[in-house]
Amino acid sequence: MATTSTSYDESSLAYPAGVPKTLEDAPLVGGNLSFHDVTELIAGHNEKKTPLFWFFGFSVALFLLGIFGLSISYLVWNGTGTWGVNNPVGWGWAIVNFVWWVGIGHAGTLISAILFLFRQRWRTSINRAAEAMTLFAVACALVFPTFHTGRPWLDYWMMPVPNQMALWPQFKSPLMWDVFAVSIYGMVSLLFWYTGLIPDLATLRDRATGLRQKIIGIMALGWTGSNRHWRHYDRAYLILAGLATPLVLSVHSVVSFDFAVSIVPGWHTTIFPPYFVAGAIFSGFAMVMTLLLVARKAYNLQNLITLDHLEKMNLIILLTGSIVGFAYITEFFMAWYSGVAYEQYAFRNRAFGDYAWAYWIMMSCNLLLPQLYWVKKFRRSIPLMFTIAIVVNIGMWFERFVIVVSSLHRDYLPSSWDYYSPTIWDAGIYLGTFGLFFTLFFLFLRFFPMVAIAEIKGVLPQANPHYYDHGQGDGHAGEAPKAAVSAKTDEVG
Amino acid sequence: MIDLDVLTPSDVIADGAPTVWRSREDLAGTAEYAVFRANEFLPGATDAGELEVDAGPSRRTFLQIMGASMAMMGLAGCRRPAEEILPYARKPEEVVPGLPNFYATAMPFAGAVQALLVESYEGRPTKIEGNPEHPVSRGKSGLFAQASILNLYDPDRSRTVYRNGSASTWNEFLSAVQGMNADGASVAVIAEPSSSTTQASIQQQFEQRFPGARWIELHANGDDVTALGTQAAFGRPLRPHYKLSSADVIVSFDADFIGSEDPNSVWNSREYAASRNVDVRGSMSRLYAFESTYTGTGGMADHRKALRACDIAHVAAAVGQGLGVGNGSLGSSTFAGDPMVQAIVQDVRAAGGNAAFVAGPTQPVQVHALCAALNAQFGGNVVEYLDTGAVSVTSLSQSMATLVEDMQAGRIQLLLMLGANPGYSLPANLNFAEAIGNVGMSVHVGLHRDETGQLATWHVPGTHFLEAWDDGRAWDGTLSIIQPLIAPLYKAAHSNLEILSLFATGQYRGGYELVRGTLRPALGSEDAWRTALHDGFVPNTQYAVAGVAGGAPDLSGLPVMADDETEVVFRTSPKLHDGAFSNNAWMQELPHPVSKLVWDNAATMSRATADALGVNIALSKGKHEADIITLSVNGVDRTLPVWVQEGHPDGSITVTLGYGRNLASERQVSDRNLLARIFDRDVDIYRPGPLANGVGTNVGPMRSLGNMAVATASSIAATGESMMLVTTQDHGSMEGRAIVRMTTLEEYQSDPEVIQHQQHILDNTPWEDYPPLWTEPRAASDDPRIANAMYSSEQWGMSIDLNTCTGCNACVVACQSENNIQVVGKDQVSRGRELQWLRIDRYYTGNEANPGMVVQPMMCQHCENAPCESVCPVAATSHSPDGLNEMTYNRCIGTRYCSNNCPYKVRRFNYYNWVKTLPIEVRMAQNPNVTMRFRGVMEKCTYCVQRIRRTQQYAHIEDRPIRDGEISTACQQACPSDAITFGNIADPESAVAKSKHNPRGYDVLAELAVKPRTSYLARLRNPHPSLAEA
Repeated sequence: MATTSTSYDESSLAYPAGVPKTLEDAPLVGGNLSFHDVTELIAGHNEKKTPLFWFFGFSVALFLLGIFGLSISYLVWNGTGTWGVNNPVGWGWAIVNFVWWVGIGHAGTLISAILFLFRQRWRTSINRAAEAMTLFAVACALVFPTFHTGRPWLDYWMMPVPNQMALWPQFKSPLMWDVFAVSIYGMVSLLFWYTGLIPDLATLRDRATGLRQKIIGIMALGWTGSNRHWRHYDRAYLILAGLATPLVLSVHSVVSFDFAVSIVPGWHTTIFPPYFVAGAIFSGFAMVMTLLLVARKAYNLQNLITLDHLEKMNLIILLTGSIVGFAYITEFFMAWYSGVAYEQYAFRNRAFGDYAWAYWIMMSCNLLLPQLYWVKKFRRSIPLMFTIAIVVNIGMWFERFVIVVSSLHRDYLPSSWDYYSPTIWDAGIYLGTFGLFFTLFFLFLRFFPMVAIAEIKGVLPQANPHYYDHGQGDGHAGEAPKAAVSAKTDEVG
Repeated sequence: MIDLDVLTPSDVIADGAPTVWRSREDLAGTAEYAVFRANEFLPGATDAGELEVDAGPSRRTFLQIMGASMAMMGLAGCRRPAEEILPYARKPEEVVPGLPNFYATAMPFAGAVQALLVESYEGRPTKIEGNPEHPVSRGKSGLFAQASILNLYDPDRSRTVYRNGSASTWNEFLSAVQGMNADGASVAVIAEPSSSTTQASIQQQFEQRFPGARWIELHANGDDVTALGTQAAFGRPLRPHYKLSSADVIVSFDADFIGSEDPNSVWNSREYAASRNVDVRGSMSRLYAFESTYTGTGGMADHRKALRACDIAHVAAAVGQGLGVGNGSLGSSTFAGDPMVQAIVQDVRAAGGNAAFVAGPTQPVQVHALCAALNAQFGGNVVEYLDTGAVSVTSLSQSMATLVEDMQAGRIQLLLMLGANPGYSLPANLNFAEAIGNVGMSVHVGLHRDETGQLATWHVPGTHFLEAWDDGRAWDGTLSIIQPLIAPLYKAAHSNLEILSLFATGQYRGGYELVRGTLRPALGSEDAWRTALHDGFVPNTQYAVAGVAGGAPDLSGLPVMADDETEVVFRTSPKLHDGAFSNNAWMQELPHPVSKLVWDNAATMSRATADALGVNIALSKGKHEADIITLSVNGVDRTLPVWVQEGHPDGSITVTLGYGRNLASERQVSDRNLLARIFDRDVDIYRPGPLANGVGTNVGPMRSLGNMAVATASSIAATGESMMLVTTQDHGSMEGRAIVRMTTLEEYQSDPEVIQHQQHILDNTPWEDYPPLWTEPRAASDDPRIANAMYSSEQWGMSIDLNTCTGCNACVVACQSENNIQVVGKDQVSRGRELQWLRIDRYYTGNEANPGMVVQPMMCQHCENAPCESVCPVAATSHSPDGLNEMTYNRCIGTRYCSNNCPYKVRRFNYYNWVKTLPIEVRMAQNPNVTMRFRGVMEKCTYCVQRIRRTQQYAHIEDRPIRDGEISTACQQACPSDAITFGNIADPESAVAKSKHNPRGYDVLAELAVKPRTSYLARLRNPHPSLAEA
């Protein structure tokens, strides 16, 4: 049996001698961990004494959450006038932040669902945290459309609530599509996340005692790890992955319709749906990267979230970053090629107008800097990838800012042109959503297994049914262990 | 409609005996009966002519409060005020709750009256329109008439009699007046200009009581230069009356004769528009304008030249010389060879009596005299000179200087100031403020306890013209009776007439008695009196046209200013006039017709002048940061922000009067609770004090009596500081887009389709190469879907003629008044949150050195394919069967998506709750038929849907179709130049449908296929062939 050492050992990730160096072949988990080691490593964090840094981080998050509460109260008390929005620029930071958070919320489900369907087994180490991040990002995103309305207490009118006046929402409006797209996405993501949690919750339950055991027991929904449970679980997970996959693509496509369906020059563009989806994945991966690089270090998960995983994510960042960059340039081409003066002006104004600074921040953060990832050394450099992840997050925020503000502030009639500047309350509510996000994330880290225990075990070498047939090591080089999720925990049953 | 109660107890004629009596006690006039009569009805049933907002619940007060609460019915949520609604115990005759009554009256303005028809709900006047029968107004009204309704409900109006700065009572004032005795020579009156015949007759009584008393009229511009000019030309003051509709050439020497400040602007605008009506006339007049500041008239001009005011006088002399008028002593003037002068001379000679010369208030008397002489010779068919009966006028430099000197020396016992505000507007070097201290008894009557009211020994609250009886004559002399629509809001308020009569006779007599006493005998019969009241004017009472001839103006005294000197030109503000509208929130927030500045006055100058002074105005992030200069004129320093205006003459600085007020208000501003103090974003423009205070700088004291309009700056220095100036429009270029389409008369006549071809959606591609893929009908009325509309036979549409729209702003304020549009304050305008539904876009054309200006009223276009409607998630904005783009405030949740998607950006959002903090008085000014909008709700032009529905109901009751022209929107009704046509486009015979067939007709942003229901008629210019621009 393997040692129970949880120290990070880069050498354990080295390719076995004589094995071709393909990505597929590299071990997905380092440190020669056993099933039990994995359980101890992950569940242990939920069980042992809360580390000091958690309290520190959590209190910072709570402070930001306080700012959130204050900003929301001030907003609801006084009105949207406390923000910087004005007549030509009816949407400001709020919608920028909404699209940004929704975009971030893409990575989790993409990792969980699409990579699952594509049998990308390296996803197992990051999918739990990424899904949690998705949920919290969607929660943060929902704050903005909810509170940016003039009368937020009437937002429920956007729901198709039967009423005696037969007043119905207006289904032609992309905002209605948004309501449904984002809420369905949120719901499916929650279900997907929770379904994946069930076996791990059962693991926690079995290791707990007293009240804690009862509470977690209820949450584990009576999971016993029986073959029948696993069969149902596998099927449910697959179906949910199938359901979630189109949603990943649809939700940001629908968000992009808010702009693309309008007639504002700079918004009215057919390229928006794919470009928004690519941008969302781009920013989502950057956010996952930001969070995991910290959590990995703090919780000593280097063996589970290996450099190979990070490199693969960096490749996706490179790909999607190049897609959005291509889209930026295509928009210019289309504006020129269309010959429409309004479009041409909108894009000239974007790059050289009052908001040119935002445009060039966006270009350098999203298109230029990720190009460093063509170099393998950069893809595997932790400090660099942390920096780029932050930079991409900033760049993607500016992308939405550029789209929302620079298009609106100068549209058809020059008489209405104006400038938009945010107020501290715009900033306060944005900062506040970080409070909401991190508060939830810290609670998640504390109370839920941050890595999918059961799934990780499925990608351990031991999970290969032939593992014990041929001694240590994978005797059949090039043949992948089958049924990644069918491995059972050794604690259960 | 009018039903004057002729049986009022005060219905007495001059000798004091009642004409009708109810009992022998009444006839005998015993004291007991007087008490009985006063208490005849239960308390609250009558108001005995007195009314006070915070008095007990009298019937009228109750009606006012009820009206206000109706006005606030749109408020939703927890802030809805709780008011008890009580029914009428007895319904007053002709008053139906919720239905308006209309009364004819008139507004005194700049020495003439504007005939009005005022809408009143249950005794509460809410909206002012022009009197449709009146020969001058013809249903139209100017900017100031539209705004004057808010002056009535000004919460800072004075309410109490003041004596030496502390509150007193009317009775104390009465006894002070009755105990006063003064020698006639020690009595003086400073009055605002008035055309009241009643005042004239009381003035006679006054002069009988105080023989030798001085009477000085203080005009907004200081002197009445037109009267002085005609006096110089013809020997007595006459009044020019321009019948421009038949004019071929119009020459303006710094005269903004179609701007709102002109006392006859309504008439002039209509006549000018008629002269430009190419569809009817087949030709157009040609307007030449020499201007010392950019005005609406300059914008309309075919040729405009920016010159210093002092140079314009010399241009006038050169024109006169070219035409052989004037003594020609300036023959060597540099302007004689000016191509524009030569073109004018050529055109005038060809016009054959169809020319008009107009001189503005900045021009010296000699130029007015010259214009009079020119008009007499070349404008016989266009300009009439009316004999107002005035025998002579004297300039202020004589009358006022001596008066103040005498005041200073203590030789004045009684100084009566009727509506005038000399303490604010007179030159500082006169030292009026100090001089008034040596006057025995100074009495100020005015709407506010203003600068003068605070200096005078007595201040008596004045009445608004809607509160008191008076009469007056329109510019052409037509007599109107000014009848009140409401009792004075404050018990102590008395009209100028009443106060003057009190001094003249020592007895208090009410305004009704006075006016009726003068006019009832003059009109001959009771029927004639009642008809005059009903109609609002007495027909055929125009002034006689004086025969004028010759006139050899002496131009030798024209002031000459060196080229390197900078002149300062003082003008009344096109928004606040001379300060009479300073505390009017609508007017403060009204964009200046050219600069679009709100809430400030500035030192307007050209780019070159600003560069020479080393000052600048920087537009950054949508805000103008203006350097502040110290302007020193006639030994008086004032600091003002700089405004750089395109098309402004070099070496000239324009400053406007009416700013920098210091009003004393008695309004109690309640303290807010702690929570509100911490959390409330303070956006209340009515807090803490009068909104006029602290806005801009008072430039009046920089003037000198010798020339109240133009002075030479002795020094101009940058202070190194700067301040934010706010405009509603930062970009003046159309960026090559066909937004305001225009062409010249010549091109249009050779190819009427030229306007249609200006729709370039593709850059640099001729129309012929890229014709539209499908052809839309020229006018919406040609669209079979509209002609055969399934659900409604009426399809509303509008057409706006850019060839006659002068950008005077009357429509903007009319809309604001009709539709309860709130004022947001300078800070919020700087954040782009102004709420005016109708804005006037101003674009500059041509070269930067001498740009032309075009204006375009822009409001909701009621698109058939409305982009706003499809994006609203809750269907709060939707289409009505009769083609209106409707906004359902109750349903709106405020996503602002509609506004983003509106290509015209005409939607307005309530970022704050503007109604919550509205003072009760201002609430009374609101139209009860229009919902007050709550915070978080989008609003926009409705085509005045309340008027459409009201007319539809009447038509339905009377079982008849709606007549064309029966419905007019507020903007259309106000528009003095009749640029707006509204009606049913499904009816091919309607005026609007015909207008849409005009070859000049086009839709703004037609290429977006939103199918706007509002279309525009392109602007035409009529340049002189020799001056065709390169």
